[in-house]
This record gives sequence, structure tokens and C-alpha cells, in this order.
Amino acid sequence: MGSRFFRQAGDSDSDTESSDEESLVSGDDAQKPAAPAKPKSRFLRSGGSSDSESSSEEEESEDSEDEQKPTATAQKVSKYLAAGSDDEDSDEEVKRVVKSAKDKRLEEMEATGTAMNNALKINDWTAISTEFDKLLRMIQRQQNVGDPIPPFFIRTTTELETSVNDAQAKDAKKKMNATNARALTAMKQKIKKTLKDFDKEVKQYQADPEVFEREYTAAVAPEVTKVTKTRKSEGAVDEDDDAFQTVGKDGKALQFTSDSVFKELQHVQQARGKKNTDRNEQIRILEKLLEVAATTYQRIRVLLALVSARFDYNASVASHMPIDLWVAAQKEVDQLINIVATNSHYTVEEAIPDYDELAERTPDEEPDKILRVRGSIISFVDRLDDEFTKSLQNIDPHGTEYVERLKDEKYLYATITRAQTYYEKSKTQSDSLTRVIMRRLEHIYSKPDAVVNALEASISTADVKAAASKLGTTSSLIHSLCVHLYKSGNSLLRTRAILCHIYHYALHNDFHTSRDMLLMSHLQESIHSADVATQILYNRAVVQLGLCAFRCGLIKEAQSTLQEIFSTQRVKELLAQGVHQQRFQVLTPDQEKAERQRQLPFHMHINTELLEAAFLVSSMLVEIPLLASIDSEEQKRKAISKPFRRLLDFADRQVFTGPPESTRDHIMQASKALQNGDWQQCRDLVQSIKIWSLMPEAAAVKEMLAKRIQEEGLRTYLFTYAPYYSSLSLSLLSRTFHLEVRAVTSIISRMIWHEELSASLDQSAGVVVFHRVELTRTQQLAQVLADKVSAMVEQNEKTLDNKLGGSTGWGDRGEGGKGDKREQVQERKGRAGGRGGASRGRGRGGRFQQGLGNQMNEVKVR
Amino acid sequence: MAEWDLSQRIIPYLDRHLAFPLLAYLTETGLFPAEEVQAAQYELARKTNMVDYAVNLFESVYPGKEIPAEFNEKRKEALLTNERLQQDAQAVLHVIENPDVAQALRQDKNQNLQYLKENYNVNLEQITALYNFGQFQYTVGNYSGATDYLYHFRILSTDADLNTSAHWGKLSSDILIGKWDVALEELNSLRDAIDSRSTPLPASASAADPAALGQLHARTWWLHWSLFIYFNHDQGRTLLLETFLSPTYLNTIQTSCPWILRYLVVSSILSRKAPSPSSRVRHSIREIVKIVQMEEYQYTDPVTTFLKELYVEFDFEAAQKALTEAEKVVANDFFLDNFGDEFMDNARYLISEAYCRIHQRIDIGCVIWLGMQLWDGF
Repeated sequence: MGSRFFRQAGDSDSDTESSDEESLVSGDDAQKPAAPAKPKSRFLRSGGSSDSESSSEEEESEDSEDEQKPTATAQKVSKYLAAGSDDEDSDEEVKRVVKSAKDKRLEEMEATGTAMNNALKINDWTAISTEFDKLLRMIQRQQNVGDPIPPFFIRTTTELETSVNDAQAKDAKKKMNATNARALTAMKQKIKKTLKDFDKEVKQYQADPEVFEREYTAAVAPEVTKVTKTRKSEGAVDEDDDAFQTVGKDGKALQFTSDSVFKELQHVQQARGKKNTDRNEQIRILEKLLEVAATTYQRIRVLLALVSARFDYNASVASHMPIDLWVAAQKEVDQLINIVATNSHYTVEEAIPDYDELAERTPDEEPDKILRVRGSIISFVDRLDDEFTKSLQNIDPHGTEYVERLKDEKYLYATITRAQTYYEKSKTQSDSLTRVIMRRLEHIYSKPDAVVNALEASISTADVKAAASKLGTTSSLIHSLCVHLYKSGNSLLRTRAILCHIYHYALHNDFHTSRDMLLMSHLQESIHSADVATQILYNRAVVQLGLCAFRCGLIKEAQSTLQEIFSTQRVKELLAQGVHQQRFQVLTPDQEKAERQRQLPFHMHINTELLEAAFLVSSMLVEIPLLASIDSEEQKRKAISKPFRRLLDFADRQVFTGPPESTRDHIMQASKALQNGDWQQCRDLVQSIKIWSLMPEAAAVKEMLAKRIQEEGLRTYLFTYAPYYSSLSLSLLSRTFHLEVRAVTSIISRMIWHEELSASLDQSAGVVVFHRVELTRTQQLAQVLADKVSAMVEQNEKTLDNKLGGSTGWGDRGEGGKGDKREQVQERKGRAGGRGGASRGRGRGGRFQQGLGNQMNEVKVR
Repeated sequence: MAEWDLSQRIIPYLDRHLAFPLLAYLTETGLFPAEEVQAAQYELARKTNMVDYAVNLFESVYPGKEIPAEFNEKRKEALLTNERLQQDAQAVLHVIENPDVAQALRQDKNQNLQYLKENYNVNLEQITALYNFGQFQYTVGNYSGATDYLYHFRILSTDADLNTSAHWGKLSSDILIGKWDVALEELNSLRDAIDSRSTPLPASASAADPAALGQLHARTWWLHWSLFIYFNHDQGRTLLLETFLSPTYLNTIQTSCPWILRYLVVSSILSRKAPSPSSRVRHSIREIVKIVQMEEYQYTDPVTTFLKELYVEFDFEAAQKALTEAEKVVANDFFLDNFGDEFMDNARYLISEAYCRIHQRIDIGCVIWLGMQLWDGF
């Protein structure tokens, strides 16, 4: 395989004519999977060879230094280099240059290297293994002769190591046949051994490849120079013929003058997106161009192209952009924004009339003295942000790398703010302004004050004088950002802004404001039709609202808010914090990929365990007294919280219960203790749950829980044990449950008033007297019948209402009487969403009674 | 007590003229320094055309000072305008007062216009003059005149905006002259007008819809104005409950003016025994307790606290305390002033009812803290 490529590459190079040949080759290219890299190798050729062999000429080595930095690590690039060296190899054959023994050895080695590279492309590890053995033998010989280790060898080995690791990581093994896989494993061992053997050299090389190479070159200098020279002259000849050669390396530094900037730019842009384009090379060219760019216009143009090129570097959707590239891109975007922000004569806009790409332009030539350049800063900012998120998605969140990466957020945030300032000033691109504000909002909405303050501090040090950032508290900052978005026409951004706002209020324990916003936005009705990302944001906001209610001690609200998301049993998926394992259906790879892309980076996660603990504890406090209060089987089936009920049933069936380990165990055992009236144990169990420590005000929350448990414990106790008492002393109850007599009286009074407990207080004796009514079978049946009849009456009335009032709807108050009745029926049934049409903008009251604000009479507000 | 005074919250939702009675009442209660209230009255009157009234107020606020010259000019100007407008309006009035015309007028406004134009040469502009004159009459304080003119205007005019404006104007005039039955009718028709403006709602409509916002404003104003009528009309309290508890108005209260809850609570306590066909009114207390609880974070005053202590906390002692506070609040409230005793009676009754329902045996000695007056309830 390898040799064939060889020949072709050699041929096309040495043939000085013909696009025919070119097309023939490219036809070949298409057939071979490995081929695409080859033409690249051609325009890189001389550069590559200068790397490997390196000349003593100053200029040449300078260039190679420049090149070396970005490529040293990238394995992909190394292929070209190696391939390049093999090209030249064949050139030499043609030209019959006389070579020394050393050179011959070196060439042999390089040939092996190329063979390996070619084998690598088709994943042929057996071939690689053989070639590597060969290489090792040659090195052995070299050492015997006393020659230094050529850098080529070290590089090849290190590169091989990365590719081996890559191959293993990619699970390519699975696809390999047995021999190949075995060869791969063997290779790994071998390389490990070799690296160990040449430990010193490798380290030297890695520390500073240039120095290492120069040393080597110095050792073998006389011979090499000659070779290089010949090759150089020949490269110059090639250049004219080959279409790709225009962006070649040779003499490039001389070519790049400010005059040719536009021409070069155009070349780069034409090559952009083509299959054979070497993106790395392009970036390098553009970097050079940036250095020589003389006028502001040139700089803008080059920066625009350069940032795009950096983003182009990584074509795959799944993997993230290399971080160093990202950092460079971020700096360049900053630079770009600074240029346009300081020079009000220049703007970068998306839609502008055509202009001559090759001509130099100045603002003075323009009618309104403003020079417009085609491009889009906002899309750069968007892309930067997206790539940042993507990298966080891909980095292991528990490693230090993640933390390191997260530190970049402040630079990104500064860039975003900078862009915002620019757009605020320029005033022409309001759409971009809203987008950039949304980006900014998304960076801060879910963070606690301290973190946001840190981010804000980083802006002020980054010399951005953003008017919006001088707004004092986080809340007011978020408020101003949101208000700006509300005023914008984009309804999607408006929705997202309000959700962020809700989330923020919930995070700051402002339950009422947050809830009112959620209800008044009427998002519950339309969220189903929103895009997935917004739905996720909605879920996050709702969940945070639930947690907020929990922290504020509004147990009932917390329960009903969290209920919905927990009954799906797919909490992680709904919050985009993990991919759901579906039991019965397998996701297609596409779906799975899409799902992975949606995942939130780890630092934005809401802890699901904490969430579950909050939900289960509030369910416990709601459900256990309820369970105790009902006696018939039928009522029992109407659970308020199904997930909790299921867990409880499961725990009941357990034959043996050990000491609690997980959060769930704790809560289940606490529930049982509560059922038995043992509130102290219940409290201890609930308070010993470790996950509470993640809550900001853990101590206060625990205290609140203890209080609730006392109260609900009392209620449960009364429900459960009332049949066994004829009277109970209030003071005893107060002592048992560590509550004030007044509180006990209040709770019991409420229960009596709402007819939950058939009892009455005896004030003079200080006791509660129970009135037990034993129902006979007939009475029970009669009661059931009565219930059914009343249900039927309701049903009937509803039908009648629908028939009569169907056309007039809710606004009609002429039918007040009937409407009222229907209203009450609905309330009793607690149906959600029944009154969507009642009024817009203030459909709150209705919703309060059904949805989040569902406060039954027994809720205490203290 | 000043902290519980709602005047400052209510006045922004009232017409300038409607605020006068409120301010006048404030001078009586003495919650605020008399001078300040008078100054406020003066400021209020200064912008109206009630020049003499303003001058009177000025004299009492700044005794001994010279009356600003602007009043003289204003008076002259007002008289002139009055004459001019009257002339304009007179033409139409003559026609309308003609019995033949009254007979010929039909339901259809366009047809009427046509008829008037053909037979009496009355055009739209002249009819608008009626409105202008009516409005002017209103600003000078001649409310009964205003109500007449505006009434005629509304019959004839087809202009929707002016019609609505006339509607409000007429309601305000009716309130100010104290014709409660007429005002009630006017109130109801205005409510219909507000409600019917609601367009059918598409589900995706955003909350920021200006039409919906306008409706919310209109409802808020309506709620405040209606207090005048509901607390003066015989059937007022029951009607108030019925209207305020309907979903749309309840929402309005919760969204934009939670202080109206006080009146809701008082009405429900007052109409405890009132026979009403609507179950909503009969069970109003239960519902209102829920609302009070829900809105606690936005609004509390002794009246709502009383209800909460009684029916949520069942803390009779605290309820009793809140009631004594509430008594003062009610006595100092412009709208509730007349209902003080009735309110107290009913509230005590509610306490005793709840107390007896819960207790099997009551220690008379212990009941003392419920207040001796409680005996009236038994």
C-alpha cells in the first residue's frame, strides 16, 4: 500500500506540467481513503522537510520554529510532515543526488516512517508493527556507529504513541480483526519500552524540539546543507506549476507584505471548506497576515478570516475545539471588538452591499464616512460561547482540567460584555445586542451572587467600561438585562429571559415573585411547543422554584411543584443532566448525539439527589398525615404523590430493613417513624441526611423541617390513634410533641373545624374529647351511594353548562349562578388548566387554587 | 392608625373629583394633620374649573395671603367657555327635547344619526359638542348637568372612545350626586363594556399584550369606583361579593390592587346572614380565607389578620386582638365608616360560632378574654 502512494506522490511532483495529471491524481485520491492527506503534503512539502532535516540557514529555521509550535502535539499534522519527507525522498531518487551513508540511513528511516504513516491511515497495525521493528533495528545500528539519535525517530515514536492511544480510545479495536488488534496491543508495549529506553532524548526533544534538532543538525551539518539546497531550488520550480503551491511555505515571509494581504486573504478564503485544505496552514498564514496588516481595514478583514479559520479547525460536531485555539480565538475576537469599538468609522455588519474584496478601502471614500465590512461579531461570540460549553461537556467534570477550563469563563464573559458595550454604543444592530445580552444572562442567571460578583470584577479589570455592569447588585443587573430582553421583539428570547429571571428569583428565595412571574407568563400553556433547550430551561426554573419553596418552608408548594417532574421518573433527562437509559427502545446514534449536545455543563447542574430529598421529604410531610386520616381502601388509592407512595409501599414490603444508607432509605424510615408517631426518630433521620449540606441555609432548613415534623407528627398521631382514646389531655400532647399548648390547640381546632377529626375540646378539663361514630354496614353503603349520586349531579351540571354555555364561554357573567357552580366543581376536582380562557395577563387567581398556589386549608402560615 | 389608611393607595385610581369626598373625610378623621389634607385638597381643586371652591380652599390654607390672579382669569375664561359650549350644545338639545324626535329614535345609532341629519340638520360635530359641554359641566362641579348631557351624548354618538369616556364621566357624576340606583346601573353597563372588550384569547398570546393590559387598568379603576356604590347601595355588599369574587376581578385584585381585599373581607363578614341565591356568596368566607392566606405576602391589615387568625390559626385570642384593631380601621375608613357596628356584631358572631363548634365545654371564666361584648353574640 505505502509504496504505491509513494510513487504517485513522487510522480506528480516531479512532473512539471499538467492539470491532467492533477485530476488523475485527485481521481485516485477519491478512491483511496487515505489519499486526501497527500496533496496537502505537497504544499507543505518543503516546510515539512525543513522540519525534519532542518537547515543551518537562519531564515529557514526560524520558519520551522514557527511551524513547530502548533504542530508539535497535533498528530494529524505530523502525518503531513512525514509524508512530506517521503516526497522529497523520491525527489532525490529522481535527481540522483549523491548521498553519504548517514543520509542513506536517514532516508531509510524516513521511508519506514512514511510506510508507518500510510499504514496508520488504514489502521493496519500489523504493518506498523513490522515497520517499527525495522526502524528500531536501524536506530540500533545508528547508535552502534555512534551517531546521535535523529529527532525524526523521537518524533515518530511520540506520535505513534499518541495514535496508538487514540486508536485504543476510539474503540477502533472492536472493528479490527484479531491479528490487527493483537498487533495494536503489541505496538503499545513496544512503544512504551522504546520510550523508556530513549527517555532522556524524548524529554529533551519534548522540552525544546528546535534545540534538539539544531544539535542534531550541527552534528551532521555538512552533508545535510547540500541536500537542502538542491531541494530548495527545486521547490521554487514546482511552485509555479502547482495550483496549491500559492499558499506554499517557501519564501512566504517575503511575500507577505501589506500590499498582498487581500490577495492572500482571497486565496485562503477560496481554499476554505475544501476537502484538501490544511486548516492549520491556513491559520498560520492568517497569523502572518495579521502581523503585516497595515491599515485598520486590513486588520479587520484578516481578523475576521482568522477567527473563522480557527473555528473551522474542528469540523466535527461532537468534539470540542482545542483549548489553545479557543483562547487564541477569544483574544482575537476581543481585538476585533476593540478595533471596531474604538474606531467609530468602521463597523462589521452582516448584510451590506458587495464591495471589491481585493481593494483597499478607507472610511473617507464612503458616503457617510462609515466603512462597513462584511462579517458578524455576534456569531463569533455565539460560537465562542458554544465551543466553551462544548468543551465543558467533554471534559471530565471531576478533574482539575475542568476547573482550569472553567477559569476561562471570566475571559469569555468579559468578551461578551465587551461585545454588549460595543453594540450598545453602535445602536444599529439591536438584534445582535439582544442576542449578546441573552448570552450574558445565561452566564450569570444560575450562579450565586458571589460568583457573579467575581465575574463582574473580572470585567472591570478587563478595562471594559460597560454601563450595564455598574449596576450594583446582581439582582438589579439581571433585572436590567431581562427588561432589555422583554422589550425586544424576539419572543423566544423573551421567554428565555423570563425563565432566567424566574430562576434567579427562586435562587434568591424570593418565592412569591418568582411564582407570580411564572404564572403570569402563562408559560405552562405554551411550553410544550417550545424548543427543547427552552423546555429544559423551563424545567430548571420550575425545579429551582420547588427548591425555593422548600427552603422557605412552604412544604405544600414545594411538593406540588416538584411533583410533576418526579412523576416522570426522568428527572436527569428533563434537566439535561444525564442521558436517560431507555429500557424498551434504543436511541438512534443521531438522537443520542443530539441529546449529548444538549447536556448542561456540570457546574450548572442542580443536584438531583438534593432535589429528590427535598421532594420526598415534602411528600412525606404531606402524605403521611393524609394516609393516616383515611381509612377506606378506595380513598387510599388516590395518592397525592405517586412516586413517594410507590417507594413507601416498596419499603413496607421489605422483610428486613437495615440501617439507612441512601437518602431514600433515610426518608423511608423517617416516614415509618412518623407513621408510628415517633417524631423524634423521624426528625433525627431526616436531619442526618448528608445531602442537606449542599443547601445554602442548611441549618435553618433543618430547623424548619424539625418544626414541620413535630406538627405533622401530632396530626398523624391524632389520626392514627384517635380511635383508641376517648379523650386526650392537651398538655400531654404538648409535652409529647414538644409544642406549645397553644399550638396544639390551634392544630386540633383546625382539624375539628375542617371535620377531619370528630372531636371537640373541653376547655375546663384541658382535654380533647373524641366522638367515635361506628358506621354500620348499611350506613357505609348509604354513604357510598350518596357520594356517587353527588358525583353524578356534578357531572350532570357540568354537561348542562357545556351545552348551554359552550358558545358564550367564560366572559359571560349573565349566567353567574351556573358559572359559579361550575367553578366550584372544578375547584373541588382540582383540575389543572381548566380555566385557561378566563383572562389573559391575570389568570392568576384561578391558577392559584389549582396549581402551584394550591393551599389546602390545613397549611399553616406562621 | 395612619398606616392602615388606604386613601393614598386608592386615590391614584380615582377621578380628581371623586377624590374630594375622600379628602374631606380625612379632615374629619384627623388621621393626618388638617393642614396637610387641606393643602392636598387645594392642590386638587386648583386644576379643576371649580374656581370658587379653589379660592375658598386657598383662603383656608393660606389665610391672609393674596389670592393669585390666575383665578380671576380662570373664572372669566371658564364663564366664556361655558357660554360658548352651551350655545353649541343647545342646538342639539333643542332637537332632542322635541317629543317627536324622542319618539322617532331607535336602537340603531347610525339610523338615528341619519334621521337627525335629514330632518333636523344635526351632524356629528354638534353631537360632540354635547360631550364637550357635559365634560365642562363636570369640571366645574355641576354634576347633575353633566350626567344629563353625557346621557344624551351616549345615546347619539357612535364614537367608541368618546363613548367610553362619557361612560366613565356619567358614572362619576352619578356617584357624586349620590343617585345610587342609577349609578349601579351605569356601573354594570360599564363593566359589560370593559369585559366585552376582551378579544378571544389565542393560547400563545403573550402577557405583554397592550389590549389585555388596558383591560387590566380599566378593571382596576372600575374596582375602585365601584366601592362608592357598593358601600352605599342597599344590596351593595352582596353584589360586591358576587362581582369581586368572579375570576376575572379576583385576578385583578390579586394582580394590581391587593388592598381591595379589605373591602372584600368586610363585605363577606357583613353579608354573613344575607340571603343570596349564589353559593359563591354564601360560602364566600371560606373562599376569602384562602385568598387572604395566599395574598398574605402582599397585603395584610387588621381586618384580614382577623380572618386569618380566626380561620387559619384558630387562635381566638389573637383574633380578638385583631378585631379590636380592625374596629378602629373600619371606623376610619371612608367606605366602611357606616358599617362599624354591623361589622363588629357579625365578627363577634363568627368568633363565637367557631369557638362553640370546636369546644364541647366552655369555661365561662376563660371566655372573658374574648371580651365582654362577646356576650352579645350568644
